[in-house]
Amino acid sequence: MIVPYTHVMLLGAIVFLMGMICTLTRRNLIMIIVGLEIMLNAAAIVFVGAGLQFQQIEGQVMALFIVAVAAAEVSVGLAMVVCIYRQRHSIDPQCIENSPRVPDPKAASEPLTLNP
Amino acid sequence: MLLQPVPEISLFLAWAAAVVPLAAFGLILVFLRGLPRAAAGTSVAAAAVSLICAVCLLVRHLGMDAPLQSSVTWMASGDFEIAVGVLLDPLSLVMLVIVTCIAFLVQVYSLGYMAGDAGYGRYFGFMSLFAWAMAGLVLAPNILQVFIFWELVGVSSYLLIGFWYEKFSATRAGKKAFIMTRAGDTLFFWGWLILLVWGGTLQIFELNSGAHGLSSAMTTASALLVFGGIIGKSAQFPLMTWLPDAMEGPTPVSALLHSATMVAAGVFLLGRLFPFFSQSDTVMTVCMAVGTVSMLLSATMAMVSRDIKQVWAYSTISQLGFMIMALGAGGYAAGIFHLTTHAGFKALLFLCAGVLIHAHDTNDMFVIGRAGGRRMKTAMVCMTAGALALAGIWPFSGFFSKEAIMGALAAADNPVWLFCGLAGVFLTAYYTFRLIFIILFPRTQAAGANSHGHGSVPASAAMYAVLVILAVITLAAGFFAQGFQDFISIHSPHAKDGHTAFLAHIASPVLAVAGIFAAWMQFGRSASDQVGFAEKIGPVGRLFASRWYLDHVYAWITDRVLDRGIAEGARRTENRVIEGALAMITGWVVICGRMAAGWHRAMIQPKLMVAVAVMFGLTLILLVV
Amino acid sequence: MTVYAVFFYIIAALIIASAGLAITRKHMVHAVLYLVVSFIATALLFYLLGAPLVGIFQVILYAGAIMVLFLFIVMMIRMAPGADRPFPAGHFIAAFGVCGVYIAAALVLAFFSGPEAGRPMAAAAASPAAFGFYLFDQHWLAVEMISILLLVALIGALHLGRAGRRKQSGNKEP
Repeated sequence: MIVPYTHVMLLGAIVFLMGMICTLTRRNLIMIIVGLEIMLNAAAIVFVGAGLQFQQIEGQVMALFIVAVAAAEVSVGLAMVVCIYRQRHSIDPQCIENSPRVPDPKAASEPLTLNP
Repeated sequence: MLLQPVPEISLFLAWAAAVVPLAAFGLILVFLRGLPRAAAGTSVAAAAVSLICAVCLLVRHLGMDAPLQSSVTWMASGDFEIAVGVLLDPLSLVMLVIVTCIAFLVQVYSLGYMAGDAGYGRYFGFMSLFAWAMAGLVLAPNILQVFIFWELVGVSSYLLIGFWYEKFSATRAGKKAFIMTRAGDTLFFWGWLILLVWGGTLQIFELNSGAHGLSSAMTTASALLVFGGIIGKSAQFPLMTWLPDAMEGPTPVSALLHSATMVAAGVFLLGRLFPFFSQSDTVMTVCMAVGTVSMLLSATMAMVSRDIKQVWAYSTISQLGFMIMALGAGGYAAGIFHLTTHAGFKALLFLCAGVLIHAHDTNDMFVIGRAGGRRMKTAMVCMTAGALALAGIWPFSGFFSKEAIMGALAAADNPVWLFCGLAGVFLTAYYTFRLIFIILFPRTQAAGANSHGHGSVPASAAMYAVLVILAVITLAAGFFAQGFQDFISIHSPHAKDGHTAFLAHIASPVLAVAGIFAAWMQFGRSASDQVGFAEKIGPVGRLFASRWYLDHVYAWITDRVLDRGIAEGARRTENRVIEGALAMITGWVVICGRMAAGWHRAMIQPKLMVAVAVMFGLTLILLVV
Repeated sequence: MTVYAVFFYIIAALIIASAGLAITRKHMVHAVLYLVVSFIATALLFYLLGAPLVGIFQVILYAGAIMVLFLFIVMMIRMAPGADRPFPAGHFIAAFGVCGVYIAAALVLAFFSGPEAGRPMAAAAASPAAFGFYLFDQHWLAVEMISILLLVALIGALHLGRAGRRKQSGNKEP
């Protein structure tokens, strides 16, 4: 007899929330990927907890798949970050938007990306 | 009046007369363009075959008692059939002989005239096309076939008028001729559409015999529309100014165009549908009015022109006006007879003018006169013969046909037509002999006989032979007047020929002589200053010389109505309405697109934020609702 | 309150604390190291929740391989610490608004969950052998797809690395 299922869910929710905050607020491509990892981790926690709650081994299988998908995602994502860094010497997400290869007539009038 | 099928031999001859020039045309354009002599030979041979066929036909059917017709279905669509065929009656037989004869003579003449031209082969190819188109038009038994060949005549005249396409003025003249006749053809098109849709038939015989379902108003409307086509083709008022410009073509082309083919096609159609037209008095009156106005206007224009070919061109319009007047007055045989004689003497006049122009390299009659044009005896004698015929002097053919026309006009209800016609006779004689006297009696004789000194090719024997043949025809044709008129009018109960108006018959030659005398007083006698009475009154001379400002009127209409009115309106509509609406639509699309793009174009994190918010928002909604 | 529950709360606190530290570090190496702690704690939690094999994979793959990859990349990029420019305030407000929506959804979910969710879960453990048998018995297709995905990711990462280098040299040559 361990903790109620709700507590596991709450833990997953909090961790997911932190990953989301990280993803949404850090201006750094690597930190965005870190946030993604935390969110995936939270999902894995919830899956395993649910597997225990409903006595299904399915949940653990899903957690394993999440780990595998995360591995794939991280490898490609980090490779892209390296690419971007080589091209623009920056890992600010803004640098992709301000790409000289993609002319953007309305770049200055974007309300959410205004920065001094 | 019953139709009979065409006997097989006649059918064969008729088809041969029409199709052989087409074969020559195809052969020349495909194989013989680079071989001028072979091309010319082919074309002349085809024209000769055509002529022989036509003469055989005429001889065979000289005593015909009913028109012959046979046709085959070319294509059918539902109940509507397009037939091509052959209609043989006196009019088509006579016209076929005229066309093939003039075409043959003109081609023989061209052998010499066009020698050395770069487009020799092409020229003869177009000539053959022209002969085919005209023969098909003449033989057509229904309006649709008439229309098809009518357009072909237009095309081939366009090709020939603009034959020297390196000359800007020639291409312009070709375009002008084509477009102005097209204006008339549009009316013709509507006309036969009315005939087809409301009348239910395009067969010339059914139309002529009144076996159509048109009310009298519809008859008038369709006849007027068809007459519009005739106005365009025969260069009548108000579509007359293309004809003088068509002089840009080679002179033999002008001869062909003005005597037997292009412009004659209009009068021929009027004669062809004469019984149909005479079902409506309004149309007949309109015909007379248009003919009269054209006749007088162009006669005045001819009085002041210095260009030989232009004088003959104006006189062509004038004589066509006479023909249409005669037909409008009911003088069927008179009109057609004048068409026949006119074909002969006008071809003669043009070809003589061609010899002079060829020798002197100029169209200006004063220059030719000073350069010794009168020393070219054969040409001058032939030209004088043609001029006498044009003026209507016994015993030349023009005398007889003019007499017949005056008889028809005298029979008209209103004497105004007769007086106009007599005035036309006077003017015709005056301007014709103005030209002749100017060339014959130049005021300042140029030193030295340089008539052949321009490096141009001297006129060949073939050309002179043609001139002599035509002169003989001009001299002799008049004596067949009675037989011709009897032959031509056997199937035309509507015709009102045969009236004798003694006064008119006397007045016409008297006025012609008076016209010649007036010309002699001003141009011929040695004390004269060679300035016509029209030129002495400045404004009148200018008015005549600038063709009564008709071209200005067209320019004004084109400019104001077409360019500034319709085109400008269309442009404004396009700019304001269409483009405005389009700009509005595209503007809205762009705005919507920007709004939609705003969700996608942001940095990755705001996008992610939107996605996450939507996802959780949806979850929330699903849970609560 | 069983000893399992005590362990759970300790581990949960560890996960939350290390994750919170990881996402707030300015220095990326520190962040990644805190993340490693968080992942190892998660592995412990998996063990606690009866998933020993997943926990071991978590340690080997996540805390081991992936985090080493992260460290490599961070060291390659060598960003100066503090280079993170702050977002404008509006962005933060929007982000926390989204988080608020999320929290609301979570609370509603917790409120609507059934009464059995409030009872403590029975402890159980899946043996690695049973887990592996089940995986390859029921999910062999998914396993194959995952393996293909990993292969594609491998090739893609390789290609991206080469492409970036080629672009760079291409930029430098002229």
